[in-house]
Amino acid sequence: MAHLAHLGALTGDLVAAVTAIPENQTARRDEYRDAILQSLRSHRFTRTNQFEVEKHLRGLEEHFHVLGRDALGEALRQRLNAIEPHRTQFTPEILHFLLELADQPVKKSNISD
Amino acid sequence: MPPNERAEKQAAAQQAVDILHEIATILNCHLDRRTLSICISMIENGVNPEALAAVIKELRQEGQGGQIDAAAAAASSSTRRR
Repeated sequence: MAHLAHLGALTGDLVAAVTAIPENQTARRDEYRDAILQSLRSHRFTRTNQFEVEKHLRGLEEHFHVLGRDALGEALRQRLNAIEPHRTQFTPEILHFLLELADQPVKKSNISD
Repeated sequence: MPPNERAEKQAAAQQAVDILHEIATILNCHLDRRTLSICISMIENGVNPEALAAVIKELRQEGQGGQIDAAAAAASSSTRRR
Protein backbone atom coordinates (compact mmCIF):
# COMPACT_ATOMS: atom_id res chain seq x y z
CA MET A 1 0.00 0.00 0.00
CA ALA A 2 2.84 2.36 0.89
CA HIS A 3 4.44 1.69 -2.48
CA LEU A 4 1.19 2.48 -4.35
CA ALA A 5 0.73 5.63 -2.29
CA HIS A 6 4.29 6.71 -3.11
CA LEU A 7 3.75 6.03 -6.82
CA GLY A 8 0.49 7.97 -6.65
CA ALA A 9 2.29 10.92 -5.11
CA LEU A 10 5.02 10.80 -7.77
CA THR A 11 2.38 10.65 -10.51
CA GLY A 12 0.67 13.68 -8.99
CA ASP A 13 4.01 15.50 -9.05
CA LEU A 14 4.44 14.49 -12.69
CA VAL A 15 1.03 15.91 -13.64
CA ALA A 16 1.90 19.15 -11.89
CA ALA A 17 5.29 19.34 -13.62
CA VAL A 18 4.18 18.53 -17.17
CA THR A 19 0.69 20.03 -17.44
CA ALA A 20 -0.41 23.60 -16.98
CA ILE A 21 -3.32 22.66 -14.71
CA PRO A 22 -3.52 25.28 -11.94
CA GLU A 23 -2.74 24.10 -8.43
CA ASN A 24 -6.26 24.87 -7.20
CA GLN A 25 -7.84 22.52 -9.73
CA THR A 26 -7.17 19.46 -7.59
CA ALA A 27 -10.07 17.40 -8.98
CA ARG A 28 -8.76 17.80 -12.52
CA ARG A 29 -5.20 16.99 -11.46
CA ASP A 30 -6.46 13.92 -9.59
CA GLU A 31 -8.36 12.79 -12.69
CA TYR A 32 -5.17 12.96 -14.75
CA ARG A 33 -3.18 11.22 -12.03
CA ASP A 34 -5.67 8.34 -11.81
CA ALA A 35 -5.81 7.94 -15.61
CA ILE A 36 -2.01 7.84 -15.78
CA LEU A 37 -1.78 5.27 -13.00
CA GLN A 38 -4.32 3.12 -14.84
CA SER A 39 -2.39 3.34 -18.11
CA LEU A 40 0.92 2.57 -16.38
CA ARG A 41 -0.64 -0.56 -14.84
CA SER A 42 -2.30 -1.80 -18.05
CA HIS A 43 0.44 -1.21 -20.61
CA ARG A 44 1.75 -3.99 -22.86
CA PHE A 45 5.29 -2.75 -23.33
CA THR A 46 8.07 -5.29 -22.87
CA ARG A 47 10.98 -5.08 -20.45
CA THR A 48 14.00 -2.99 -21.36
CA ASN A 49 16.71 -4.84 -23.24
CA GLN A 50 19.88 -3.15 -22.01
CA PHE A 51 21.89 -4.40 -25.00
CA GLU A 52 19.42 -2.77 -27.40
CA VAL A 53 19.70 0.45 -25.38
CA GLU A 54 23.51 0.38 -25.58
CA LYS A 55 23.34 -0.38 -29.30
CA HIS A 56 20.92 2.49 -29.87
CA LEU A 57 23.14 4.93 -27.97
CA ARG A 58 26.29 3.81 -29.84
CA GLY A 59 24.40 4.22 -33.10
CA LEU A 60 23.33 7.70 -32.13
CA GLU A 61 26.88 8.65 -31.20
CA GLU A 62 28.12 7.40 -34.59
CA HIS A 63 25.31 9.23 -36.33
CA PHE A 64 26.40 12.50 -34.68
CA HIS A 65 29.95 11.96 -35.98
CA VAL A 66 28.88 10.87 -39.48
CA LEU A 67 26.83 14.05 -39.89
CA GLY A 68 29.67 16.25 -38.69
CA ARG A 69 28.23 16.97 -35.25
CA ASP A 70 31.35 15.71 -33.53
CA ALA A 71 31.01 17.92 -30.46
CA LEU A 72 27.60 16.41 -29.69
CA GLY A 73 28.86 12.89 -30.31
CA GLU A 74 31.77 13.51 -27.98
CA ALA A 75 29.52 15.15 -25.38
CA LEU A 76 27.23 12.10 -25.42
CA ARG A 77 30.16 9.71 -25.04
CA GLN A 78 31.57 11.75 -22.13
CA ARG A 79 28.19 11.77 -20.32
CA LEU A 80 27.70 8.02 -20.87
CA ASN A 81 31.15 7.40 -19.43
CA ALA A 82 30.40 9.75 -16.52
CA ILE A 83 27.21 7.87 -15.58
CA GLU A 84 29.07 4.54 -15.26
CA PRO A 85 30.31 5.05 -11.66
CA HIS A 86 26.69 5.90 -10.74
CA ARG A 87 25.19 2.96 -12.63
CA THR A 88 22.37 1.10 -10.88
CA GLN A 89 20.02 -1.68 -11.97
CA PHE A 90 17.71 1.05 -13.27
CA THR A 91 20.24 2.90 -15.45
CA PRO A 92 19.36 0.96 -18.64
CA GLU A 93 15.65 1.67 -18.12
CA ILE A 94 16.27 5.38 -17.49
CA LEU A 95 18.38 5.60 -20.65
CA HIS A 96 15.64 3.68 -22.51
CA PHE A 97 13.14 6.28 -21.26
CA LEU A 98 15.34 9.12 -22.55
CA LEU A 99 15.73 7.44 -25.93
CA GLU A 100 11.93 7.14 -26.21
CA LEU A 101 11.61 10.89 -25.65
CA ALA A 102 14.54 11.89 -27.88
CA ASP A 103 13.36 14.41 -30.46
CA GLN A 104 15.58 14.22 -33.55
CA PRO A 105 18.76 15.01 -31.58
CA VAL A 106 21.07 14.71 -34.59
CA LYS A 107 19.08 17.38 -36.37
CA LYS A 108 17.90 19.60 -33.52
CA SER A 109 20.29 19.42 -30.57
CA ASN A 110 22.80 22.21 -29.96
CA ILE A 111 26.02 21.81 -28.01
CA SER A 112 25.42 25.22 -26.44
CA ASP A 113 22.39 23.79 -24.62
CA MET B 1 23.10 5.71 8.49
CA PRO B 2 25.64 8.26 9.73
CA PRO B 3 24.90 11.84 8.61
CA ASN B 4 28.17 12.07 6.62
CA GLU B 5 27.39 8.90 4.71
CA ARG B 6 23.84 10.08 4.01
CA ALA B 7 25.13 13.43 2.71
CA GLU B 8 27.62 11.65 0.45
CA LYS B 9 24.92 9.38 -0.96
CA GLN B 10 22.65 12.35 -1.61
CA ALA B 11 25.47 14.21 -3.35
CA ALA B 12 26.19 11.16 -5.53
CA ALA B 13 22.49 10.82 -6.40
CA GLN B 14 22.32 14.51 -7.32
CA GLN B 15 25.40 14.13 -9.51
CA ALA B 16 23.80 11.15 -11.28
CA VAL B 17 20.64 13.17 -11.98
CA ASP B 18 22.77 16.04 -13.28
CA ILE B 19 24.54 13.75 -15.73
CA LEU B 20 21.26 12.16 -16.85
CA HIS B 21 19.80 15.62 -17.38
CA GLU B 22 22.78 16.50 -19.56
CA ILE B 23 22.17 13.32 -21.58
CA ALA B 24 18.48 14.24 -21.84
CA THR B 25 19.49 17.66 -23.18
CA ILE B 26 21.85 16.16 -25.77
CA LEU B 27 19.03 13.83 -26.88
CA ASN B 28 16.63 16.81 -27.04
CA CYS B 29 14.09 15.19 -24.71
CA HIS B 30 12.52 18.52 -23.62
CA LEU B 31 12.73 17.48 -19.95
CA ASP B 32 13.52 19.92 -17.19
CA ARG B 33 15.51 18.65 -14.24
CA ARG B 34 12.51 18.43 -11.91
CA THR B 35 10.41 16.37 -14.34
CA LEU B 36 13.37 14.12 -15.05
CA SER B 37 13.94 13.59 -11.34
CA ILE B 38 10.29 12.59 -10.86
CA CYS B 39 10.49 10.18 -13.82
CA ILE B 40 13.66 8.59 -12.47
CA SER B 41 11.91 8.00 -9.14
CA MET B 42 8.93 6.45 -10.94
CA ILE B 43 11.16 4.09 -12.91
CA GLU B 44 12.98 3.14 -9.71
CA ASN B 45 9.53 2.32 -8.30
CA GLY B 46 8.82 -0.14 -11.07
CA VAL B 47 7.22 1.96 -13.81
CA ASN B 48 7.95 0.72 -17.33
CA PRO B 49 10.08 3.34 -19.16
CA GLU B 50 8.26 3.05 -22.49
CA ALA B 51 4.88 3.36 -20.81
CA LEU B 52 6.11 6.41 -18.91
CA ALA B 53 7.45 8.01 -22.09
CA ALA B 54 4.07 7.39 -23.77
CA VAL B 55 2.35 9.10 -20.83
CA ILE B 56 4.68 12.12 -21.03
CA LYS B 57 4.01 12.48 -24.78
CA GLU B 58 0.27 12.31 -24.19
CA LEU B 59 0.40 14.84 -21.34
CA ARG B 60 2.29 17.20 -23.63
CA GLN B 61 -0.30 16.76 -26.37
CA GLU B 62 -3.04 17.28 -23.80
CA GLY B 63 -1.44 20.57 -23.01
CA GLN B 64 -1.97 21.37 -26.68
CA GLY B 65 -5.62 20.19 -26.61
CA GLY B 66 -5.44 16.38 -26.83
CA GLN B 67 -7.49 13.78 -24.89
CA ILE B 68 -6.24 12.14 -21.67
CA ASP B 69 -8.10 8.92 -22.54
CA ALA B 70 -5.72 8.45 -25.46
CA ALA B 71 -2.91 7.92 -22.93
CA ALA B 72 -4.61 4.84 -21.52
CA ALA B 73 -5.47 3.61 -25.00
CA ALA B 74 -1.95 4.17 -26.34
CA ALA B 75 -0.25 2.44 -23.43
CA SER B 76 -2.62 -0.53 -23.32
CA SER B 77 -2.94 -1.19 -27.05
CA SER B 78 0.75 -1.11 -28.04
CA THR B 79 2.71 -4.35 -28.14
CA ARG B 80 6.41 -3.96 -28.77
CA ARG B 81 8.93 -6.69 -29.56
CA ARG B 82 12.64 -6.30 -29.12
